This record gives sequence, structure tokens and C-alpha cells, in this order.
Amino acid sequence: MKTTLPLFRRAFFDTWRSTLAWAAGLAGATFLYLPLYPSIGGSAQMHDMINALPAQMTKALNYDQIATGPGYTQATLFGLIGFLLMTIASVAWGAAAVGGDEESGQLELTLAHGVRRVQVVLERALALLLRVLVLAGLVFVLVSLLNGPSQLGIEPGNLFGGTVVFAGLALLSGTAALCGGAVSGRRIYGTFAGAAVGVLGYVFNAVGRQSKDAEWLLDLSPYHWAYGNAPVANGADWAAAGWLWGISAALVVLAAVALERRDVGA
Amino acid sequence: MAIAVSARSLTKSFGRREALHGIDFAVEAGSVFGVIGPNGAGKTTTMRCLLDIIRPTAGEVRVLGLDPRKGGPELRRRIGYLPGELFLEGRVTGRRLLAHYEAVSGPVPPGRIDELAERLGLELDRHTRKLSKGNKQKLGLLQAFMHQPELLVLDEPTSGLDPLVQQEFHAMVREARHRGQTIFLNSHVLSEVQQTADTVAILRDGHIIAVESVSGLREGAVRHVRITAAGIAAHDAVALLSGVPGVGQVEVLESGASVTLSALLEGPIQPLVRILGSLQLTDLVLEEPDLEDAVLKMYTGQRGEAH
Repeated sequence: MKTTLPLFRRAFFDTWRSTLAWAAGLAGATFLYLPLYPSIGGSAQMHDMINALPAQMTKALNYDQIATGPGYTQATLFGLIGFLLMTIASVAWGAAAVGGDEESGQLELTLAHGVRRVQVVLERALALLLRVLVLAGLVFVLVSLLNGPSQLGIEPGNLFGGTVVFAGLALLSGTAALCGGAVSGRRIYGTFAGAAVGVLGYVFNAVGRQSKDAEWLLDLSPYHWAYGNAPVANGADWAAAGWLWGISAALVVLAAVALERRDVGA
Repeated sequence: MAIAVSARSLTKSFGRREALHGIDFAVEAGSVFGVIGPNGAGKTTTMRCLLDIIRPTAGEVRVLGLDPRKGGPELRRRIGYLPGELFLEGRVTGRRLLAHYEAVSGPVPPGRIDELAERLGLELDRHTRKLSKGNKQKLGLLQAFMHQPELLVLDEPTSGLDPLVQQEFHAMVREARHRGQTIFLNSHVLSEVQQTADTVAILRDGHIIAVESVSGLREGAVRHVRITAAGIAAHDAVALLSGVPGVGQVEVLESGASVTLSALLEGPIQPLVRILGSLQLTDLVLEEPDLEDAVLKMYTGQRGEAH
């Protein structure tokens, strides 16, 4: 019996519970935040309240955008809670894919079978990619559904672009985690690498937006590459999307090369 | 005779610590080759080098005629491997896990998985992480044996198995050998290797200190001897026995109308039997050679003292 992509199948299908749980979390967050827009983001009262907040704080939270439907969706869902959930899921999967599997001792047995190491990394990265796409696709569908009822007024094209960079941003953290795990053979280093990309990206963006002196930090922030122009409101910066996806691909290649060259489980 | 596995000056260092100091061995195709040695001797390291899980620092390894580094998936499909520490944590059933490995390393003859599961007494439809240590080990054996590979590399195969399943495992090894498969196994328990292996290599601190057939090992091992003879004075009997090559530590246990002596014998028994023939024996005990004892001496490097 010969099946195509056996490692991908196992990595993707045998973890459906985890994918489902994260999907439920994202759906919950979407349904919690977006229907509130007409009463929060659009209201004059809220507008006054945000104006009363320190400017640095509204900038750090991207709340300077939330007076419009697309800006509200960008700031609350794509920029904060969705970003958080997607990044955590992606980092957890990425760190488990090679580093976690090696640390638990299971990778040794897999590699003793008829597989190539490069194949192990690529098929598992593909499973990571597909799971991130499933979650991002779910968010796209749910936001499309709520667009009318919640009076968000998002252009479908912009929503699509925003979703592409949303997925790309999560994937970058996930592939950094995968690469960290593949280089070190330890789940914790993978988690650390992935979390660093996510957290530092967010912090650099928040700090970089505060003053001209700190603006250079924005160039180092994947979060800012993705969301600097508020893609849900204004359409994606496709060059930035290219960077996010391109660097992710490069990290996967690096992971494959690293695993190919070293001892496993030693 | 075809050689299934060989190593020449196989050396492996982890950082500054050298785990294997240039070992040499050759395993004949169709034989059972056992490696014994204390924990940390380098047994698992050797096996991992055969599977290309770790790479030798120096030296040469050949597995089924190929360099494991270059043999790739095609070579590893011809090998069944049981890791020394088996972790199966996923939320999958045994059957699904085996189907996965079959997809990677198959084909597996139809009905083979169920047949082996029945022999080992393993439930295939339970989640692997809920299995006891022994049942995980059975699953590990199953994935190594199921596709009837030319070479089986088994790291501590009977650890965690109850005696009945151990017997079944020994039967599986005999059948595999009968079919022409080569088996490379290791253990820190001698009796296990002794029961299944044709040849035994003793590994200590990253050196192979002996490679012998099991019968050779038995010949080199020490036997306890006790005789009771009539019509001879104690000191004459002691002198007589002490003159036999390989006999040592002769002690008088009883001396009266008859004399009872104990001694240790190392090496062939024929010279002793010839001498005993000249005595009026009333009792003779010649114990099974204590291989454990012999091997323990090798472990601690005291072999010379027995001579």
C-alpha cells in the first residue's frame, strides 16, 4: 500500500482535535468582538472615550483606527485577539513538528523508517501551513458573514488581503518555531524562537509608533510589515505579504538543512 | 559468507566525550548477533549509527552492503528498528500508527499485523498513549517485524515484556532467522542474548572487548566442580586436581573415609574428566558454566585473574 505524503497526512489529520479547538476559539472571539461594533466602535461616546485616552496608548493598541468598521475589525480581531490566538496555535504546532517530536523520542523511530529528513520537515511544514490556512479561512468566512449584520462595511478585496497577511504573520512565527526546534532538537527553543518573532514584532510596532526616534523599530517588526497600513481598511501591502511568506519558506528550508546535517536524539 | 552489517574503526564523539572508540565487528547474513554490555557502554549509539540517526565521527559502517549515510529511505525500508526507549504519545490507535509506518516502509503482507498482534497479545484498537510499557514495547516489536525486513536492529527488545511474551519474542527471532533475516540485538541481560544469539559481542566503555560464539563464551566461562572420592588422601586429591589445566581454587570440604573437594574449572572439561576417571568417585557435580559471572568479569576488566 503506497500513500502519497504519509507524514503530512499523519501531521494534519491525526491532530484534528487541536485544529478544531483553535478554530472554536477563533470563532468565539470573532463572534464576541464584531457584533459589538455598532454599539462600541461606531458610537460617539466611545469616540470621546478614546480621545480621552493617552495618544501613546491608543497608538500601541491600534485603537486610533476603531472608529470605522474596517478599522475596528483590523484593530480588535486581526491586530489583537485573532493575532494572539493564531500566533500561539502556529508556534505550538511549529515547535512540536520537529523539536517536540525529537524531544519526546518519537522522531528517532520515524527517521528509522523509509523517509528522508528533508521530507519530514517539508511535509510537516505543509501540515502547519494548511492548518494556519484553515484557521485564516475560517476567520475570512466568519467576518464575511458578520460584515452586513454588524455594519462593518469591509470591502471583500481588502478582507481577503487582510486575511492573507494575517495568515502570513502567524505562519512566520510558526515556521520560526519549527526552525528553532529543528536546529536545536528541543521544543522549548522552538517555542522561544516563535514567540520572539510574535512578541517582539508586536512590541516593536507599539514602541515604533510612539515617536520619530523609535520609528526604525517598525522596520524590524513583522507585525508592522503586515498591519502598518491597516490592510482590512486599506488593502494589503502585497510586498509585505511577499516578505512574510517568503521568509517563512526560507525558515522551512533552513530547518530542513539543519535537520539533515545533525545527529538526532543525541 | 555474506556480511549483513560491519563496522571498521567506528568512532563516535559527542562533543568532547568519545562514546565509541573505534569498534570493529561483522555480522554474518542470516545470523543472530547479540551485543551485551553495561549501561552507557555504547550499545544504543552503535545501533543509531546503523540507522543513520546519528553519524559516526570516524570509521566505516556498512549495512546490507551500503553506507547508511547514503542508503537513504530505500535502505531503511529493508531494516526493522526497535528503539531502546520507545515513546508513543500520540492520540492514535496502534492500528493507525502501524498503518502509518506501513505507508512509509511497507508493504506488509496482508493479515501479518493481526497475526503478530495476536501472538504478542496486543490490542490494536486502543490509543497508544494509554498502553502500558509492555504493550508499547509489543507495538514497537510489531512495527519492526511486520514488513519482514532483511535486517532487524533491536535495542533491548524484551524490556518490559513478561516471561511468556519474551518466549514468543524468542520464537519470532528464531523464525526470522530461519527465513534468512539477520538480527542485531542488544541487551544488558546476558541470558537474553544467550538464548537467541549465535554470536555475542561484549561492549564496555566504547570498546568491544570480546566477540565470541555463545558456545565459545561457555567454554571460556567458569564452572563450579564438586567431587567426592573414596580411597584417596585429601592432599593427594588436591594435588591431582590442581595439576589439571584450567582448575583452580581447590578446597577440601570434608576429609574422612571419603574426601569432598570443590574447585573452579575454566576451559574444556576433557582433561578434568580424564583425571577423574582414575578416582573412585562417589559423587560428582559439574555445574552449568556461569556465563553471567564470566561476562561480569569482562565488564570490570578482571578477566585475566581467572587464569
